[in-house]
Amino acid sequence: MSALAFLGLPTWENFKPFIVTGLALGGVYAVSGVGMVVLYQTTGVLNLAFGAVGALGAFIAWEMINNTGLPTWVAILTCIGFGGVVTLTYGVIFGPPLAARDPLTKAVATLGLALILLGAMSWIWSDKARSLDLSTSNSGFEVNGVLVNWTQVIAMGFAVGLTIVTVIYLRYTRTGTAMRALADDREITATLGVPVRRVEASAWFVSGCVSGGAGLLLGNLVGLDAATLTFLVISSLAAALIARLNSVVVTLIAGLAVGLVNAMLAPILSVSEYRDMSPFIMATIALLWLSRKDIRVTGVR
Amino acid sequence: MSGTVEKVPAAASPGRSPGTLQGPARVRIAVLGAVLLFVLFALPSLLSAYWVDVLTSVSIYAVVSLGLGLLMGRVGLVSLGQIAILALGAWIAARLTYATSLPYPVVLLLAGVLTAILGTLVGLPALRLSGLFLALITLMLAGAITVVLTTTQFPNGGPHFLGHTDSSLGSNAIRRPSIALSDTGYFRYTVVFSVLMFGLVVLHLRSKAGRAWAAIRQSEASALASGVNITLYKLWALALASFITGIAGGVLAGDVGKLYIVTFPTSANILLLAAVLMGGIYTLWGAIAAGILIKLLPALLDSWGLPPDLLTILFGVGILQVLTTAPAGVAAQLPHDLAKLARLITRPFRRAAAAGKGSSS
Amino acid sequence: MIEISELTVRFGGVRPLDDMSVCFERGTCGLIGPNGAGKTTFFNVMSGFVKPLSGSITAFGDNLLKMPHFRRARWGLRRTFQTEQAIEELSVLDNVAMVWEHSRQEGRGNRRQDVTAALAFVGLEVDPDVKVGTLGARERRLVEVARAVVGRPKIVLLDEPAAGLPDEETEHLGRVISAIPDAMGALVVLVDHDMTLVSACCETTAVLDFGKLIAAGPTAEVLRDERVIKAYLGTEEDL
Repeated sequence: MSALAFLGLPTWENFKPFIVTGLALGGVYAVSGVGMVVLYQTTGVLNLAFGAVGALGAFIAWEMINNTGLPTWVAILTCIGFGGVVTLTYGVIFGPPLAARDPLTKAVATLGLALILLGAMSWIWSDKARSLDLSTSNSGFEVNGVLVNWTQVIAMGFAVGLTIVTVIYLRYTRTGTAMRALADDREITATLGVPVRRVEASAWFVSGCVSGGAGLLLGNLVGLDAATLTFLVISSLAAALIARLNSVVVTLIAGLAVGLVNAMLAPILSVSEYRDMSPFIMATIALLWLSRKDIRVTGVR
Repeated sequence: MSGTVEKVPAAASPGRSPGTLQGPARVRIAVLGAVLLFVLFALPSLLSAYWVDVLTSVSIYAVVSLGLGLLMGRVGLVSLGQIAILALGAWIAARLTYATSLPYPVVLLLAGVLTAILGTLVGLPALRLSGLFLALITLMLAGAITVVLTTTQFPNGGPHFLGHTDSSLGSNAIRRPSIALSDTGYFRYTVVFSVLMFGLVVLHLRSKAGRAWAAIRQSEASALASGVNITLYKLWALALASFITGIAGGVLAGDVGKLYIVTFPTSANILLLAAVLMGGIYTLWGAIAAGILIKLLPALLDSWGLPPDLLTILFGVGILQVLTTAPAGVAAQLPHDLAKLARLITRPFRRAAAAGKGSSS
Repeated sequence: MIEISELTVRFGGVRPLDDMSVCFERGTCGLIGPNGAGKTTFFNVMSGFVKPLSGSITAFGDNLLKMPHFRRARWGLRRTFQTEQAIEELSVLDNVAMVWEHSRQEGRGNRRQDVTAALAFVGLEVDPDVKVGTLGARERRLVEVARAVVGRPKIVLLDEPAAGLPDEETEHLGRVISAIPDAMGALVVLVDHDMTLVSACCETTAVLDFGKLIAAGPTAEVLRDERVIKAYLGTEEDL
């Protein structure tokens, strides 16, 4: 009797397909997580509108694919560019007045953006069920008896690739180093002649583009529903929280883990219905455990 | 000796803090009492059943807003999961009404207490975290609660612990207290309980806990130096907020009769936060304003044929506006205006009181 | 009496307090030194906000460092802050009452009596139900001092209570501070840059420079000490 059967769990064959979907979804969580972490480190803003921006971009792409004659790649680029522009606009308008406030206030402000976008999406597109069809979902290959489509490969590849590119960028380019400096100590960096506004603008724009890409992938993997996509950010947030909003590499691993655990619980019938809880539980446990030695600063000079 | 000593006359000082009941405060209470009587007895007959129902919701959500305002304004704790707590309270109350035949107030009390215990247990380990992480944990936990409730659904007379049945045969509506079976009756019941909850919070604000919270909000270091056990008082605020929200959940259960998870969507947590910020986190009026924003405005928009999504956008703009310009909330203005109005109305009474005092001395 | 022995604090590579050993015996004791000398850090160690690397503090026979910070107020430690003033949204009465509530010993004293006594002691003549936020700087300072002396504290730490006040009010403050040990039975440690105030109130004074104790003894002698004068050179303090 195999170990799994002994534990009353389904066979390995049942789990296999979920590994793929889990890693693909986890890949997108990781992508969103990395986008949020880099922005947070550079500007101190945790962009909780990340999901909403991506969702709106996905809706625009859907509109372009289905209701205009434009080719798919144009729609995709528009979505990504839109994500970058909206996020950059927010950063430019609302970054400076809130710059001196604490991280919590800045994060809550992004919720304002999220609500505006969510309202706009619900208004324009209403609640009809839609799916964002990408041609990459129609073809794929087989690995060890499991079907993998190209969208899923892109999701996983994007995650790994983005992380590698980000790590290299932060380490070896001038803007990247400036971002790390800002994360470390804002005031000193400003006095060193680093063009803070420009570096921040890059962070806003690029993280926005990443959210656009994530939105596209989620629109395809999960479905095109405004509220769902907006609040899926909470699961990406789980990955970023496990990394304590700090390390990009840990965010990648955490994102993949969160997606994987979530999917792998699906065939286990006794807990399957509760599996969507797993990102939240993982994040809560991880954060509490990792912060156990923290001494709260009581705000004394 | 020192030069600038002014004996500030008691009745006219604008910066009076709550504590003594004299002159203007007595008048204020009388006005509030009159308004309350009007709302309880005259208002329902002036409105259709639909609007009475809307106002019942306003009353319920005013209490929920009060809880969040208490956390944010008094202790600086942002909770992104108060609607999940409301859902918990509703679940507990509903379960109790099917499982027992306890009188309704007892059910509500139990729902409040159990919710408070859960809220405190969950909050305890998280208090150590900084503001942002703490808020995010509340978001995570709200998400977890929502997932659980989506699967277990709400009690509706079914069997076992979860008390839910999918068949319409075995299910029946959550009972209401025998004195409040009608919608108007339940509206009055809700208002009474809401007033009690507001009163409970006011009592706290004027007590040792309220003073400790004020100290913590101004400066944690100074509060510690005064001997305040900050962790304890933060937990107390959390327990109080959870308690009143749990009771609000119980009242909600009796109001709607049948509970569904769509009543408590994730977005509602954020919309609540927006409404509370806009209403103002430092005043009790702000909580009432928030309740109006959350439940009255959508009904108004609906009756004018406008989409509810407009409100979502408005709330988003509201958050940004409040945070970038008026941290005390838009309704911080409103109490000033209302207070001016109240002073205007009560001026003849105060003059009479002063004249009466003068003639007797 | 407060006995500080080899107290050292380290933040990264800096030592705001370096092997500080001093005794504050009775009455009002001054603690002076140029900016950054470690005076506020010392107060923060006393309050429990900063954990020292090594060293000990024995106050009236009790090991202060062993107590959790919020318990020290109940033990009898009070302190004022340079910037965190009295609580603006509470009334004068509530401000002082609050400290009394959280730091009194069980069953001792009467709230109204102790609070009124503290307010009278500092010479604050405003309606006690007025919100502190509406008061001017002078009155706020006095409220802060009242908070520090209400009940029967054992130690009162005053961190630059005269900063920004005009001379005549500093004089009044000085009289109040000098009276604390006799009226309240507490030991006062006063940190300030106003040397007139320090000379008027404090029988003994200790001097810190770069975290180290460079002089201690009768105030008049200490203020004449060459090392102390040298430590202050380059800053615009009047001795």
